[in-house]
Amino acid sequence: MIEVKELSKLYREGRGIKKISFEVNQGKAFGFLGPNGAGKTTTIRLLMGFLRPDSGQVTINGLDCWEQKTEVKKLVSYLPGELHFVESLTALEFLSLIAGMHRNRFQIKKNQKYLINALDLDSKILIRKMSKGMKQKLGLIAALMLDAKVLILDEPTSGLDPLMQRVFIDLILEEKKRGKTIFMSSHQFPEIERTCEQVGIIREGKLLAIKSILQLREAEYQTFQIEVESDEDLELLKESQLNLIPLQGRSCIIRVAGELDSLWMALGQVQVVRFKQHSLELEEAFLDFYK
Amino acid sequence: MNRALFRAMFKQHRKKIAVISTGIVLYEGLLTWVYPVIAENPAVTEIAVSLPTAVKTVFGVPENARTDTFEAFISGQFFARIWVMLMAVYGIQTANNLLAKMVDDCSIALLLSTPISRSEILSTQAAVLIFLGGILVTVTILGLFFGASRSGITICHDRYVRLGLLGFSFFSLIEIYSLFFSVWFVEEERALTYAAGLTLIFYCLDIVGGLSNKYSWLKKVSLFQLFQPQEVLEGSKNPAGSIVGLNLVSMILWQWAKRVFESQDLAI
Repeated sequence: MIEVKELSKLYREGRGIKKISFEVNQGKAFGFLGPNGAGKTTTIRLLMGFLRPDSGQVTINGLDCWEQKTEVKKLVSYLPGELHFVESLTALEFLSLIAGMHRNRFQIKKNQKYLINALDLDSKILIRKMSKGMKQKLGLIAALMLDAKVLILDEPTSGLDPLMQRVFIDLILEEKKRGKTIFMSSHQFPEIERTCEQVGIIREGKLLAIKSILQLREAEYQTFQIEVESDEDLELLKESQLNLIPLQGRSCIIRVAGELDSLWMALGQVQVVRFKQHSLELEEAFLDFYK
Repeated sequence: MNRALFRAMFKQHRKKIAVISTGIVLYEGLLTWVYPVIAENPAVTEIAVSLPTAVKTVFGVPENARTDTFEAFISGQFFARIWVMLMAVYGIQTANNLLAKMVDDCSIALLLSTPISRSEILSTQAAVLIFLGGILVTVTILGLFFGASRSGITICHDRYVRLGLLGFSFFSLIEIYSLFFSVWFVEEERALTYAAGLTLIFYCLDIVGGLSNKYSWLKKVSLFQLFQPQEVLEGSKNPAGSIVGLNLVSMILWQWAKRVFESQDLAI
């Protein structure tokens, strides 16, 4: 459905993307992960036909995203990374505007009502009086109500509280069940992990790897902070084959990739005073790619 | 043109239009209210006749024009300078708000993500711009008719309608070249600087060209040369040629703007 071949786009200051290639099949979800300034938004702008590629090709359903940008938009729903609206309108007026710029308005209005309820948005408020989270909800409703075949979402959950992030993930999973193709950029590994089958990792404009979520789970690092009873215990841990970073006193950080058997074996030989698992950070999960 | 977008954009600007319209009508009301008092005082006419050419130029009064008529009064006090500047500032700012600002703050991204072509979106924004300008011109002319009739001033309505048409074409061109700069630079500050700068250059050329015979040729290269309200109101100039010329240039610029916008990189 989405095909990107040797795609390059460099801005004057030198940033951009260089020879990126990937494919997203129909009905699949592709997560695009990377730090700030890596090139995620540039790739999305090229998919949306906002920018002309320097070289390479980007197509959606066989249509060139630059040459046939108006045709492409008939298939695509888009949620920008930074949301800005026509501020003098109410949420409902804005949604009517977007509906009025598409065909099939009746179905769009129907979806709109369902999504307003699901995301619990007060649609009569003026947009300029909305909080960031409310604006994010409005953007999501505007994107999902169109029932488009392809969803392009640039950091869709930024600004949403954890409860609404969960609602969003449920909505995306619902869309997937209905056969939608999804391209989603994010900083947050958990939402990509729960919604996407494939992940592309981008850094400094280069696509470092494309992995399936299963492959990543196998390779992912988990980090633990451990404090032991005595200096001897600490020495024993150091002598093990674990990836250990000593901290102050008798504490250390241990990073384990894949299965945790080796960690449990080592800890079985010592007296543990404190054991804390760090939440999985994106940088930890992709540390190998970032080196 | 997309109707939903037109409605939304019109709603965004209608308050500003209402405020400007009210200001224009009130000012016209004031001028038509005081004119009969001024007209009865012969000393005022003498002062007007004795004004030096340079002063007349600054107030937009042609050298060979009469100074004792309502047309001369309303041109000097309103149409030749205040109205022109007000409408020019409005046109430049609104054109900027309708495009460059929306690109700059990325609020156009969601509109461009719909299956409406860039040309159609630009056409809609231009239609809003021209329509709002048209409302202001209509309100100005109708407000003057009302004020004149209330104060018992006899005017030739046809000539004011002609001035309205000339004003509409003149301001539309300023709006279109402002929109063109928005499309060209897709950056609010630069678009605003170039549009305002060009208008100011035209304005200065018109003023400087009228101050001395030595520099009179400067007036000929100024856009403001095409807008001489007193001559139109006194019937000494038929504005048809100027209207056609202004509209022709607007159309050419407009077509060019559409082509530029279609191929413009938009980092939104």
